[in-house]
Formats: sequence, structure tokens, C-alpha cells
Amino acid sequence: MIRFENVSKVYARSTRPALSDINLEIERGEFVFVVGASGSGKSTLLRLVLKEEGVTQGTVLVAGQEVGSLPHRKVPRLRREIGTVFQDFRLLPNKNVYQNVAFALQVLGRSGHAIRQVVPETLEMVGLEGKEKRLPHELSGGEQQRVAIARAFVNKPPILLCDEPTGNLDPTTSLDIVRLLDRINRTGTTIVMATHDDDIVDQLRKRVVELKNGHIIRDENKGVYGSGS
Amino acid sequence: MRLQFMLSEIAIGLRRNLSIAVSVMLVTMVSVYLMGIGFLAQGQVDTLKGYWYDRIQVSIFMCGKDSLDANCDGKAVTDEQRDSLRSQLDEMKPLVKNVYFESEQQAFDRFKEQYRNSPLSDYLQVGDIPQNFRVQLNDPKKYDVVVSAFEGAPGVGRVQDQQKTLDKLFTVMNVVTIGSLFLAGLMVLCSILLMATTIRQAAFSRRRETGIMKLVGASNFTIRLPFVMETVLAALTGTGLAIVGLWVTADSLLPKVSAVLQDAPLVGTTDIWFVAPWLVGFMLVVSVLTSWATLRRYLRV
Ligand SMILES: Nc1ncnc2c1ncn2[C@@H]1O[C@H](COP(=O)(O)OP(=O)(O)O)[C@@H](O)[C@H]1O
Ligand SMILES: [Mg+2]
Repeated sequence: MIRFENVSKVYARSTRPALSDINLEIERGEFVFVVGASGSGKSTLLRLVLKEEGVTQGTVLVAGQEVGSLPHRKVPRLRREIGTVFQDFRLLPNKNVYQNVAFALQVLGRSGHAIRQVVPETLEMVGLEGKEKRLPHELSGGEQQRVAIARAFVNKPPILLCDEPTGNLDPTTSLDIVRLLDRINRTGTTIVMATHDDDIVDQLRKRVVELKNGHIIRDENKGVYGSGS
Repeated sequence: MRLQFMLSEIAIGLRRNLSIAVSVMLVTMVSVYLMGIGFLAQGQVDTLKGYWYDRIQVSIFMCGKDSLDANCDGKAVTDEQRDSLRSQLDEMKPLVKNVYFESEQQAFDRFKEQYRNSPLSDYLQVGDIPQNFRVQLNDPKKYDVVVSAFEGAPGVGRVQDQQKTLDKLFTVMNVVTIGSLFLAGLMVLCSILLMATTIRQAAFSRRRETGIMKLVGASNFTIRLPFVMETVLAALTGTGLAIVGLWVTADSLLPKVSAVLQDAPLVGTTDIWFVAPWLVGFMLVVSVLTSWATLRRYLRV
């Protein structure tokens, strides 16, 4: 589903590579934790998949397509295949829960009929039924992240990228969020989650890819957070 | 993007940036108004040129008994002199088309009638305007042949051709045209800069929305369209107001001018319907191009 072949990334105004010589293959339907200290290159890895940044060297393949040579006008189509969740939720403060989720479909030109059907389904799936009319500031952090997940998933993308989705949440809420992601994963969605939350990684026992200074130093199935260092 | 959703996004955007949208509208209004005035003034010059050049006459004023013209030497024109001028004019056909003789009494009556509303006519007496020949030409451009033939001839006080007077008027009107088009150009530049600034600000204040749109894979077209539509809407509202302003100007002002100019043909409200589509088209192109170019710079994928 996602493949990195000898990928390096050096940001324009920096000399040290953020990622160097990464080789990584993520199969369809996998759940992968990308772990590592702050600055180790986790976010950069995800940005390359989204083509928010271009690679410096090597090739990134997403769903069989080479991302590096993708022309600008085809980038939106790539992103429709990928849902994204961030640490800071990125909800629209003036829109309520329902509108925030519907927004993702409206800007893709989906019909009102389809939206009215799929948005409530998705909200129910993430456990937000009954809170459709709330504004983001009337929700707890965990609930806000559920809205963000619903928005990322409402279009049923085959891939979900999560960049420290639990970074702003307390441990119990964090675990709930990751359980939700696990459930989404079981519907067949490939999930790549960058995190430095060791509790969660240890509890879920998924594949763990560890980065350090832009290098992969560990890649193991059913791994735990800390064994590589 | 669905129409209804797009309209609601545009409404939200306009409400959030209302004051700046209004300023775009006003600046556009002023620039289009000036542009319209420029075009109308130009149209007026062309209309009047055609109208007056066709009617141009050379007036040969003969000496009256109190004439101050040097050539008269204080003596009034004699009947023989007048007859010889007349036959000279007749010989100049076909260059000369028609010759009308106007006596002192007729000249007096005509002046009284033309300036009936002016206090000037109260002081005029018969004889103040000398008897004259009004010469109409087949080719108005050759007036100078007539002028040079009769200037200084015995019994002739002054030869006056209307061309000079008209050219002065046309010069004034050309200055008005060029001046208003120049100002319009400056204002268009202002409106372009203002539109660009507005879009930059709007793009900044809505970076959350556009960020999410990019993330979920909305097309560039979808992301940019609301910004373009808002700018076009503001610009076209301004253009519409300017056209209304031009119409009011033409409708209220021109009849007054027309009275002064003795029913010479004037541009009117119908001419505005002719320039209006061009003004709208021009502003449409300007606003679309400006907003698209600005968005290319400030809303990248
Ligand atoms: N836009 C950027 N420009 C320059 N350097 C950057 C940029 N983003 C990240 N970096 C650098 O790249 C390295 C990896 O960053 P990042 O991928 O954000 O790490 P992580 O998400 O693991 O904290 C860091 O050294 C960071 O300073
Ligand atoms: Mg990061």
C-alpha cells in the first residue's frame, strides 16, 4: 500500500537530512506505529506520503502510484485516498460537529443526499451520536479528536495517517482514541500512526517502526515502544 | 462543489471581510465611472465633430459704419463692394455650396433670439453686428481657401471661420477625455492592488478552511473558486453602481448641456447601454485575472 525505496529528505534550509535512506513497506490493512523521539523524522515520513513535501532522493509509492512524479493537479486525487488526523485536531471553530464532518464531503462535490446518509453513520461509528450540533469548543479534547477522525474517515479512504493523535490527550482518552483507530483498521483501512506514547504502543502490540535521526533503527511486528534504545 | 454549499461559503467569506469587500466595490465603482465618462466624452467629441463639420460656415463680415477693423478704415462697405464680393463668391462654385446674405437687422434678430436668456442681448443695437455673407462649403476642410481670398478685400472687416472655435472646444473635450481615462487608469490600478491585498488577507484569514480542503483532496479549482467569486461579485457590484451613476449623469446633466448647445446631437442614455457591456466585461476580466494570479501565489498546494 505504501512503499519507501531508498528515500531521503533534506529540508531546504537545513543540512542534516530529516530522513535518510528509508526503506519501508506497509501492506494493505496493516496498523503501523512510527515511534521515535521528537525530531526523529516521524512527521516528515507522513508528509512525504501526502506529498506535502517532495522527496530529495528515492521513490515513495502510494497505492501503486509514484508520488514523487505525480503532477500537481493530480495531488488532490492522491489525498482523497488518504485520511489525515493531527495532534491539534484542526477543526473549523465556527462549524458544528456535523458541519465539520460534512465539510470534507462538500468540498469534494458530494451530493446532499449522500452527505445526509454517510455523516450520521460515521458520527455514530466514532461515538458522537447526539453531539452533532455542538461546536468544537463545547467538546472535550477526546471528542474533538473523534470529530477529526470522523472527518478523515467519512470519505472511506483506504489509508489513514495519524500524526501524534493522542499528543494532547490524557492517557485514558488516548487509549480510547487508539481503540477507535484499531476498529477502523479492522474495516480494512491501513493505518500509520506516528506517536511517542509508549503506553499505547506497548498495549496494542502492533507493528512498530522506530526512527532515530532520520534512520529506521527497528521494524518489528507486535513490538513495544522501548526495546530498541 | 455544489452550488448551494459554494454560495453559503461565499456569503460567510463576504460577511467576514465585509468592510474590505465594500472598499473593493467602491474603488471599482469610481474607476468604472471615470472610465465611462472618458468613453462618453470621446463619443461626444466624435458625434459633435461630424455634426458641426458638416455645418461649418465661413462668415464674411463686411464693414459697418462704426467698424473698428483696420481694413475698414472707418468706412462702411459700399453697395458696389458688396456686389463684387457676391459675384466673387458665386465664381468660387463648386467649392462654395451656398451663400446667404444676412442684413444688420437679420443679424440683430438672430442674436436676440439665440441669447434671449442672456442679459447680453439687452445692450445690443441694430448695426452692432455688421451685415455679412454666410458661406457654406462643399468640402468644409477647404475653408482656408475662402478665408485667404476674402481677408483684406475691400469692404471686408473680418473673415471668421468656425473651425477655429470648434477646434478649441474639441481640444477642451479631448483634455476631458484623456484626463478622465488617465484617472480611470490610475483607479483601475488601485482596484487591482486592492483586490490582490483583499485576496491575500482572505486567504490568510481562511487558511484553516483551505488547509483542510487541501488535506481532504479538494481540487485547486474548488479551493480558489470562492475567493474568485467574492472578488468578482464585489467588482461587478461596483461596476453596476457606476453604470447607474453614468446613467443618472447622462439623464440629468445632458439635457442641460443640450439646451446650451442648441440641440446639437449629444451622447445619451442609449450610449450607456452600448458602453456598459464593455465596462462589465473589462472588470470581469480584470477581477478574474487579478484574483487567479494572486491565488496562484498565495494559495499553493
Ligand atoms: N519545514 C521544515 N524545514 C526545515 N526543517 C524541518 C522542517 N520540518 C521538520 N524539519 C526538521 O526535520 C527533522 C525531523 O522533523 P519531524 O519530521 O517533524 O520530526 P518528528 O515529527 O519526529 O518530531 C527535525 O530535525 C526538524 O527540525
Ligand atoms: Mg512530528
